[in-house]
Amino acid sequence: MSTPAVPPAPAAAPTQTRLRVESINTYYGDSHVLRDVSLHIGAGETVALLGRNGVGKTTTLKSIVGWQKPRSGSVTLDGEELVGRDMMQIARKGVSLVPEERRIFTNLTVAENLKLAQVTARRPGWTLDHVYEKFPRLRERLTHKGDEISGGEKQMLAIARALLQDVSVLLLDEPTEGLAPLIVREVENVIREIKAAGITTLLVEQNLYSALAVADRCYIIDQGEIKFEGTPDQVRTDEDLRRRYLHV
Amino acid sequence: MTVSSEPAPAASARSGLLAGDARFAVLCALGIAAFPFLIHPIGGYSTLATQIAIVSIASIGFNLLLGYAGSLSYGHAMFYGGGGYLAAILLLRVSPQHPNLWLCVLGATAGTAILAMIVGAVTVRLYGIYFALLTLAFAQMVYFIVEQAKDWTNGDDGLQALPNALLPIGPWTVDLTTHLPSFNLGPFGDVGELRLWYIFAGICLVLVLLFARMLTRSQFGEVLGAIRENEQRSTLIGFNAPAYRLAAFAISGALTGFSGALRAMFDGSVSVDALSIDRSGSFVIYTIVGGVQTLFGPVAGTAVIMFLENVLSARTPAWRLIEGLVFVGVIVFLPRGLSTVLKQQRDKNPRGLFVRSLRPSNEEPDALLRPGGEGRKSGPISIIETFKLGKLFGHFAANHDIDFKVDPGELRAVIGPNGAGKTTFFNLLSGTSAPSSGTINYKGRDVSRLSGTSRVHLGIAKAFQTASLYPDQTVRQNCRLAALARVQGRFALQVFRRSIRLDDVDNLAERAMARLELLDVADVRAGDLSHGDKKRLDIAIALATQPQILLLDEPIAGMSKDEARKTEALIRKLATEMTVLVIEHDMEMVMGISDSITVLHQGTVLATGTPAEIQANPRVQEAYLGGHSEAELAH
Amino acid sequence: MEALFQAMIGGLVLGLIYVAIAVGLTIIFGTLRLVNFAHGAFYAIGAYVGLVIAQHIGVGWAFIAAPIAVALFAVLLDRLVLRSFYDKEPTAQLLVTFGIALVVEESLRLIFGATTQQYTMPAALQGSVTLGPITYPAYRLLFAGGVIVMLALVWLFIERTNYGLIVRAGIRDRTMVQLLGGNIRQASTIVFALGAAIAGLVGAAATPIYSIDPGTGFAFLVPSFVVVVVGGLGSFWGAVLGGLLIGELQSLTNLAYAPASNVVIYLCMALILLLRPQGLLGESEVIRQ
Repeated sequence: MSTPAVPPAPAAAPTQTRLRVESINTYYGDSHVLRDVSLHIGAGETVALLGRNGVGKTTTLKSIVGWQKPRSGSVTLDGEELVGRDMMQIARKGVSLVPEERRIFTNLTVAENLKLAQVTARRPGWTLDHVYEKFPRLRERLTHKGDEISGGEKQMLAIARALLQDVSVLLLDEPTEGLAPLIVREVENVIREIKAAGITTLLVEQNLYSALAVADRCYIIDQGEIKFEGTPDQVRTDEDLRRRYLHV
Repeated sequence: MTVSSEPAPAASARSGLLAGDARFAVLCALGIAAFPFLIHPIGGYSTLATQIAIVSIASIGFNLLLGYAGSLSYGHAMFYGGGGYLAAILLLRVSPQHPNLWLCVLGATAGTAILAMIVGAVTVRLYGIYFALLTLAFAQMVYFIVEQAKDWTNGDDGLQALPNALLPIGPWTVDLTTHLPSFNLGPFGDVGELRLWYIFAGICLVLVLLFARMLTRSQFGEVLGAIRENEQRSTLIGFNAPAYRLAAFAISGALTGFSGALRAMFDGSVSVDALSIDRSGSFVIYTIVGGVQTLFGPVAGTAVIMFLENVLSARTPAWRLIEGLVFVGVIVFLPRGLSTVLKQQRDKNPRGLFVRSLRPSNEEPDALLRPGGEGRKSGPISIIETFKLGKLFGHFAANHDIDFKVDPGELRAVIGPNGAGKTTFFNLLSGTSAPSSGTINYKGRDVSRLSGTSRVHLGIAKAFQTASLYPDQTVRQNCRLAALARVQGRFALQVFRRSIRLDDVDNLAERAMARLELLDVADVRAGDLSHGDKKRLDIAIALATQPQILLLDEPIAGMSKDEARKTEALIRKLATEMTVLVIEHDMEMVMGISDSITVLHQGTVLATGTPAEIQANPRVQEAYLGGHSEAELAH
Repeated sequence: MEALFQAMIGGLVLGLIYVAIAVGLTIIFGTLRLVNFAHGAFYAIGAYVGLVIAQHIGVGWAFIAAPIAVALFAVLLDRLVLRSFYDKEPTAQLLVTFGIALVVEESLRLIFGATTQQYTMPAALQGSVTLGPITYPAYRLLFAGGVIVMLALVWLFIERTNYGLIVRAGIRDRTMVQLLGGNIRQASTIVFALGAAIAGLVGAAATPIYSIDPGTGFAFLVPSFVVVVVGGLGSFWGAVLGGLLIGELQSLTNLAYAPASNVVIYLCMALILLLRPQGLLGESEVIRQ
């Protein structure tokens, strides 16, 4: 073997892949919803999964956490296969989904919602103080029941719940959906903080602006198939791409 | 027993009786005639045989409700015991000097039928376990009322030593307690052990079996089975499900009451045991062990268990334990049988287990059509027009202020980003949901408060996002059911006629299948179809109701590219003869075939226009991009 | 007046038995989504175990042995038979648990005979207590107090412990608990055993008051279902409110017009099912799957 020439300095340090989704096919009954969907996320990366509604974004997340079982294909975390395991097992491996509807326990208080996340965690993540620091509004609402807080607060609470656990990969399903523009900005800041903390994140978003602001890389999915993989800038500059898959 | 398409058998033109039915009756009669002799060597005796024959009638009645209508009742003892007490009271009070069996039994049956209709009117609004518990509650009330009405019923002691009722037939008066002439059959006993009662009970049982057979194969039975298999679909092709369930409940109760009356007359006594929970439970056990959804199952189950109860109870005190173990065993190890029966309860509750009823509470199911309100009368052109249409779920406005108009013959696509409220909108149009505000005009008339079932008959048909079919029936049978609803209307008590005779039904079904290119799978079981075929079948079903406007909710979702394009072409052809509204996410299809597009966003209409206009509309782009303009992206 | 007080306390005692059975039924339903027609069997088994232990060893041991025996039986039942029914339709669950109730009742009949039995309380607990205008058997009051304490402990468990937190969250949203790594299955089994144990303990403790025969379990179960429906499936306080309401209703009606005392509770159930099917304290929003 000859001595290789000195390689050019890499544009970025190579990141180790944490989550790898390979050719998964997921069905709802007979409906073939995901067709050979593949993507990967490196350690510390924030990856956005973009697309119109109804095209399979949420189903992709559900397939990763074991909520829906793919009929074929594989999902691995640090090389370990996740397909076939149940939701609880996958969550305990640190793959944490913050679902689209937030799913706050409306019969529990904010404090109890947070406590539950700590109780069920395999290993602790952020401390409660750290959470209060980043989500100050939650501290003011501790005794309120889950259905007595605003939409934005629910989103904060849902994200805080996930962060109280030791997260390997954080999956966020449309965190800005249905929120007023001012609150959207708050949530965007939170996602920036999460990114700064080095947490590997897969962000599903229909709000293109929010997504592109934080993403390191983007995938676009349409009608159950991955149609594009690239950088946010590529999405920003390619109008035809956006027209075809993201808007009308 | 599913109703499969059979070749039209040789028929008598007038009545519903067919050669097959006659053969059936003869076989039943033979079996019943032989029964007491067959059980003799193993310990059976004539009284037991007669009781089995009588109670089987009640089990058949119970199975009509459980196996064919799909409702589990835990209160049938109120009909059985009720029939018994009514017969006994009629016997004691009306003409004790000239006790007339016809009067007592038929009078009791009529009384039970009325009770069943009253209780049914109240209970059929509920489903699943709530229905079971409510029937239990009514049965318990009847039990305790009867127990306490000592003047009439003798309370806990029951009515004993009833006089023997005689049966006037023509010029003769028959005493059913007379024995038959003696004729020794060796190990099978002696004919003389039997009384005329057995012949009478046997004849009643044959007639009931015949009736049950004709009922389940009749037009009424066909629709009842369809409602059991998929009530959601049945309602939205135009069948009045509550009416059918009530009819089934009433018929079931009446048959059970008839049986109870016969039993009281045969035994010469009736007690509160006949009204107990144990009694209700016994019908459940007989039917489940014998086989639900079959004609003979309940008879077999009754015979086996009553026989074991009587014979085993003499041998071992553990007979009821054995009965219980058998029952649990049957349920635990039962193949599809039980789950297909109870399937309907699950299907109708997609989000939860205990939804009270399908129909939203603020709706008038059969409101007369009212002309559009003042100042809101639409021009003669629009087929559907909505004014400030809104739908609230709690505080959340899924739809609000929707002003929507579509002309006849248009192919309109309804699109929108997350949280747009598209499916809610379709549910409001089809009648699945009732609006919280605003109105919907169809051809100029206000249909806002009209039920979904009624709207189908006006010409509004819907195909579902997840295909809603009758999975155990063939494609042809699926389409025929929809066509049948169109032809017969919301409710028809055709308990004797079979729907196979209706040519219109066949024609409508054929045409619907042809339009959706399903003829080559016409005889395939719907549950076995590919996904694409299932979706097309769902459209064909809607089509078979002869709609003027067709609502398609994501018709090509989950299909392969080829199937999607093929279906797209079929939809485009359909749109040439009717109005079509389509919800879709596939923009290629939407832009390709739509005459016009409505964009919904955050529950209301954002824009309406031609595909080109929509594509050029910056507010639409913004909505899809999450509230930011294209320009902002190039930050 | 005296009779009224007697009836009211009698209604309280009866009502508390209903509450104890109904609480088990309702929290089992809330966490497991299981409609358990065999819950009366837990009462009966507890009563008979209590009877045997009380007669041969001692009353105190009876109160320890009964709930443990019933809890073990419940876990066995869960593993062997009921596991596969948790996802099935409620009417299928009703049927299989009804069959199990039948099997248990008949087994008890074979083992213990059909006659009504009772064990006597130790002398210290016999006798009556004077409360103002009336005298009332001491044991019944003790029983009522005991059940209240037990229910309070159950409430504390559900509302104040970490385990109870998982249970309460699971009643609202099983999936989300799992997404947070919570072991809802284990919590469910524990709840099932707990609900059964409560019924078993009450069965053992109530025997000196009501006696026991093989049919007693089912006889208490049916009104307990009424209680659960009236109070609201899945609601702890609904079971408490419903139980006391039905107990008092039955007792007071018995005083006022005895023939109607049984009819009235089913009339109540029918009215609730028709007017407010989710029960007095139940959720109108369907419980999330």
